[in-house]
Amino acid sequence: MNLEKVIFGFFVLLAATLNFGFFIGDIDNPALHNIYELFAALAVSLIATVLKFGDRTQIGAVHLATSLVADLQLIAAGVVWVWASEISDQGMTATHTASMVSLSGGALLANLVSVILLVTETVTFHRG
Amino acid sequence: MSNPLLVFWAVFSRREPRGRPPSRAYIESTNQASSTIFLVMRRMRAPLITLIVIFSVSVVGLTLIPGIGPDGQPARISLFESFYFMSYTATTIGFGELPWPFTPAQRLWVTFSIYLSVVGWAYAIGSLLTLLQDRAFRQALAMRRFTRKVARLREPFFLMAGYGRAGELLAKDFDALGEQLVVIDDSSDRIDALELGSYHSDIPGLAADAANPHHLNAAGLEHPSCAGVLALTNNDETNLAVTMTAALLRPDLPVVSRTVSAPIAERMRAFGTPAVVNPFDRFGEHLRLALNAPASYQLLTWLEAGPGAELPERGRPPTDGRWVICGYGRFGREITADLRAADLEVTIIEPAELGAPEPGVIVGDASEPTVLARADLPSAVGLVAGTDNDTTNLSMLATARRLNPQLFLVARQNQPTSAALFEAMRLDALLVPTEVVAHEVYAQLSTPMLWRFIQEMPARGDQWAADLIGRLRFNCGEELPALWKIKLDREQAPALGGWLAEGRVTLGNLIRSPEDRARRLRVVPLLLLRGGEAVLTPDGETVLAGDDELLFAGQGSERRELESTLVIDSTGAYVLFDEHIPSSWVWRKLSRKKSTPSTLEERQDTTSRQG
Repeated sequence: MNLEKVIFGFFVLLAATLNFGFFIGDIDNPALHNIYELFAALAVSLIATVLKFGDRTQIGAVHLATSLVADLQLIAAGVVWVWASEISDQGMTATHTASMVSLSGGALLANLVSVILLVTETVTFHRG
Repeated sequence: MSNPLLVFWAVFSRREPRGRPPSRAYIESTNQASSTIFLVMRRMRAPLITLIVIFSVSVVGLTLIPGIGPDGQPARISLFESFYFMSYTATTIGFGELPWPFTPAQRLWVTFSIYLSVVGWAYAIGSLLTLLQDRAFRQALAMRRFTRKVARLREPFFLMAGYGRAGELLAKDFDALGEQLVVIDDSSDRIDALELGSYHSDIPGLAADAANPHHLNAAGLEHPSCAGVLALTNNDETNLAVTMTAALLRPDLPVVSRTVSAPIAERMRAFGTPAVVNPFDRFGEHLRLALNAPASYQLLTWLEAGPGAELPERGRPPTDGRWVICGYGRFGREITADLRAADLEVTIIEPAELGAPEPGVIVGDASEPTVLARADLPSAVGLVAGTDNDTTNLSMLATARRLNPQLFLVARQNQPTSAALFEAMRLDALLVPTEVVAHEVYAQLSTPMLWRFIQEMPARGDQWAADLIGRLRFNCGEELPALWKIKLDREQAPALGGWLAEGRVTLGNLIRSPEDRARRLRVVPLLLLRGGEAVLTPDGETVLAGDDELLFAGQGSERRELESTLVIDSTGAYVLFDEHIPSSWVWRKLSRKKSTPSTLEERQDTTSRQG
């Protein structure tokens, strides 16, 4: 067992699960989407990105790319939340919630690709 | 070029990028550099993750701790406010307690997170700075920068391995000619010297071992614009490795290689046809030429010294008599062989015992006056101080001059720092190996026609050389003028095409002034090359043909006048045949006069049809 692989797999999966937890629920209902979950998803996703630094293989490069996409989408979702709750007059409306959650949905897709890559890598790696 | 289409054709047809795919070795060398950068990213993982974790914990913690709002009611600050607060606190900017004053519980948490985050930042920034100072990382960055610079070169360049004294002299010469260079040297001091040197063009330099093919590739050996390879390091093995690499990877490139050892020279010649420069060998040949033909030697050294050089003095070496050679190393042997070949008697002084006692060899330290006295200097005509120690050479020369002031003194200078001392001795001939190499390589690469000229020149005799020096001084002055070549083809001499084919162009008529054809241009034709046949200093009666190549010496203004004759029809007709023809097409049609240079009209028609 390789401790590095454990940590790597843990963070990649955790990023995907947190993201999924935030995304699930009615898209325009603010009560179903906890902002702390978004924050946790973003922090874990950033850690997963850093863990993917310095891998020279082709699959490592795709891993890094998917993580960067997820980070970007989650940061965008966070900015939408800040805009809605702090700057705009209406507060968290259904429109704002929907756009925030859909952005995190995009990140979820990228995270799923990450997980698929992880699984593929594990399956193709014999005698691991 | 009278036809604008021809100009475009000439400009664009020259750009023919040779479709040479980069080899695997090239890709590997760039990979090598990028792997170091991957390593740096990998090493930054721990500090970055620490920073993210510390930040997340502090931010979330602050939002969870209850505070008191401006209205006195309990209120928590939002994630965004908390992130904002932590950002300016952790980076030690510290705007104060925003958006409202904190409660003691919040302050307790903030105190805790300040210490945590400051440590996190210090760790991250510290690691980053350490990595930036890392030697391997800096080398990788320098390599990347160098590789990119070389890859962007679009003009032909010479790859120079070894930037010692010879390399520096050559770089100056080539820079003056407007040639681009790429330098690789294993000493970073020399690369610093290259960067400090005042050159017109930006010369990329890499501090790396030239014997490594990866480094040579990074320096552009596989680059389509690479025009030649110069192996000029002090190390014969490295030069051999460079020659070998160049011959195997780019067999089409000319290679010039420096060595002082005959066996190494043989090994170099096993790979293709490199031009091997052995400074000792060449100096011996020069000395022999100086003894037999002082004027030829004077002309040779002048032409090899590069543009702007002063005419060297003509030495008067003794033609017969006994020579004394001190130091029978590689240099001494070459000189002895050359002097003996010139039927001169030679006495050798050598400190070490040679294998078999040879006639005329005195064993002993030549810097001791008693040993020198045994060589019977008063009856000798020349002395060669050829040891590899400058102090020994200088003391020998001083003693010898005291014993016989008439001696012809030849010395070998080893260190560039001794230059002033040797100059103060006012010697008759001085070997500076690095300068011999630089001049030789310059002559071979600056214009191939100059090299041809220098090779064929000694056969023409001393009187011919003296006359030529006289002509050069009369036409161009005491400083060596620029040497340039022209080729009488459609590109460089479009105005002459038809007349050349008819055999009506003589060299004497060609070099007349376009303003007043009674005045001869102040240029000296040095060499005429026709289909591999070389004619030295062709005279005015020579009839020129198409595709002839000519090497001229002359000032730039004279060169421009000659070029206008080659390019403009009407100027050409005036200069060659004293004919005035209208220069514009309309006037030519209007005048309807069949011009005496009969082919002119027809040729115009054919070119316009082709163009």
